[in-house]
Amino acid sequence: MSLETAGLDRAPTPRWVKGYRTPAHELGAHWLGQMMVFVGICAILLPISWIAITAFKTPRDVYSLSASLLFVPTLDNLRTVFEHPWNLGSKIVNSFAVALGTVCLAIPMASLAAYAFSRFEFLYKQALFLAVIASQFIPAAVVVLPYFLMFKEVGLLDTRSALVLVNMSIVLPYAVWMMKGFIDAVPLEIEESAMVDGASRARVIAEIVLPAALPGIITAAVFSFTLTWNEFLFALIISKQDALTLPIGLIGFRTERGDLWELMAAGGILITAPMFIISLLVQKQFVRSLTAGSVR
Amino acid sequence: MTQISLRGLHKNFGATHVVKDLNLEIASQEFLVLLGPSGCGKTTTMRMVAGLEEATWGEICFDGQRVNEVPTQRRDVAMVFQNYGLYPHMTVADNIAYPLKLRGIGRAEREVAVRRAAARVELLDYLHRMPRELSGGQRQRVALARSIVRTPRVFLMDEPLSNLDAKLRVAMRAEIKHLAYELQVTTLYVTHDQVEAMTLANRVAIMKDGVILQLASPEEIYSDPVNTYVAGFIGSPAMNLIPVDVLDGRVLAENGMALQVAAPAVGPLTLGVRAEDMTLCAQPEATFSAEVFAFELLGDATMVTIKLGHTAVAIKGDKGLRLKFGETVGVRLPPASLFWFERDSGQRIRLPSQR
Repeated sequence: MSLETAGLDRAPTPRWVKGYRTPAHELGAHWLGQMMVFVGICAILLPISWIAITAFKTPRDVYSLSASLLFVPTLDNLRTVFEHPWNLGSKIVNSFAVALGTVCLAIPMASLAAYAFSRFEFLYKQALFLAVIASQFIPAAVVVLPYFLMFKEVGLLDTRSALVLVNMSIVLPYAVWMMKGFIDAVPLEIEESAMVDGASRARVIAEIVLPAALPGIITAAVFSFTLTWNEFLFALIISKQDALTLPIGLIGFRTERGDLWELMAAGGILITAPMFIISLLVQKQFVRSLTAGSVR
Repeated sequence: MTQISLRGLHKNFGATHVVKDLNLEIASQEFLVLLGPSGCGKTTTMRMVAGLEEATWGEICFDGQRVNEVPTQRRDVAMVFQNYGLYPHMTVADNIAYPLKLRGIGRAEREVAVRRAAARVELLDYLHRMPRELSGGQRQRVALARSIVRTPRVFLMDEPLSNLDAKLRVAMRAEIKHLAYELQVTTLYVTHDQVEAMTLANRVAIMKDGVILQLASPEEIYSDPVNTYVAGFIGSPAMNLIPVDVLDGRVLAENGMALQVAAPAVGPLTLGVRAEDMTLCAQPEATFSAEVFAFELLGDATMVTIKLGHTAVAIKGDKGLRLKFGETVGVRLPPASLFWFERDSGQRIRLPSQR
């Protein structure tokens, strides 16, 4: 054996060498880790897949053990939920109207507020910003009653406008807080650069700052939409008949005849589908903006 | 074609007085460099000219008209920022075109102007790239192109080369100098790099602690510094500043060695002499002699360092010169190229011939 290879011989044998066996303790740790991941995934995915499957079952199959996986799928449930007395169609319209309305109002307002908090110096700025965030710590159940009374007074009960307004109170602080972070990350230098180039403050915001912070704005918009789309408590108390949203529609399936699981599952699919599609569309953007600023 | 006057300019940030009573006249088409260490107020001064910072006191005039109250976007200046300040969501072409777009110039006309500006800084192949796809030097050129796409009243450049590597800096320096010559626009340039200042400027204003110490042409600043600070800041290597004590007509260095020169005053002084003005010679003709502390080859010359007490003195030698460490050499100081300063205040003491 020559001197040069003597050291190599003592080096640990790499895994790709034929006949190499991973030590038992390493293998054990490896499979234990894999098992834990598997259990975690099951815990998350099983209920969702159960709903997805149940939505296509007949009422009889729902309770049948033998048909738990093998059954003839039906689209009846997805049709039934749109019929009287469930009328999920109008509830979908309401949900979309409320969520889109909230986002369309909240995002422009939050953008400007976030810009002000990020760029301007004014009296009590810190305190004011803290107050905005702190408004989130008040439980919804506490504020819903005053809202109810106010809306009753002005005749806004059971309207989509009322729901948009209440949802704004939840979404705005979050959106302001998120977007302030994204605007903070836009270098001041490019704003000054635009001002030197001849842009007024309004154009600087519209053409430079907001486009540069666009990933963050989209993130905030998606987040706001999700929050509003899934909102339950306010919708339950403020809407009664005309302004019912999807989450409220879902509890309608708990009837005196028992829980209609197959219909509830069908409703569940309807409520999840838009979120699913949106998340597919903006996933890349979302991840990029959430990690933006971490490595600048 | 704009002449800039800064009159009694002050800037305070809270309790810190960053710019103190600054008076400066920048002639039309002049290339003036503000030179100084970081924190000396040079960038703040430029930002006040741009309108990005409000003057606490004093007046800023363009062609004799006060512009203090004119907002940045209407001052018609162009600025190149240290970090380029490119718009990250726009292509190179859109970046360059933005000042024109803001002025309501039509698309066709914009395109022509963008191509002309881009051609000037050799960016034509990159017009459709995004800024993040460019190297530092290319980004710097985009920033330059954006500032020259229109003819502003004033060019402002805030350490535009400091983020580039040494080689690129030299190349871009030449480009900026050529652009300034071609465009003939009044330029205010901020830097802490004395080489940039010396090579680019018509006049250099050396700043320290918010005050201009000397305002003169590069030649004058080099050959006639007003105090030890300016003398030590300019030149590479900087001027040797040797503390000496003048007693009974004898000039004594720190280590007690007598230098055979005539001093203009008595007491503690500082003797300034540039490395290239000293010559090495045989010991009988020398002003003083010392041992070689270090000997370096520079290629086109050699650098001999000797020590007078704690003070290292650099002497430029012939490129053929070879010396050993510890060897004793004679040094001659030509009386005409000596600079004398008061030790404590650092102020220059001029000889009758230098007045």
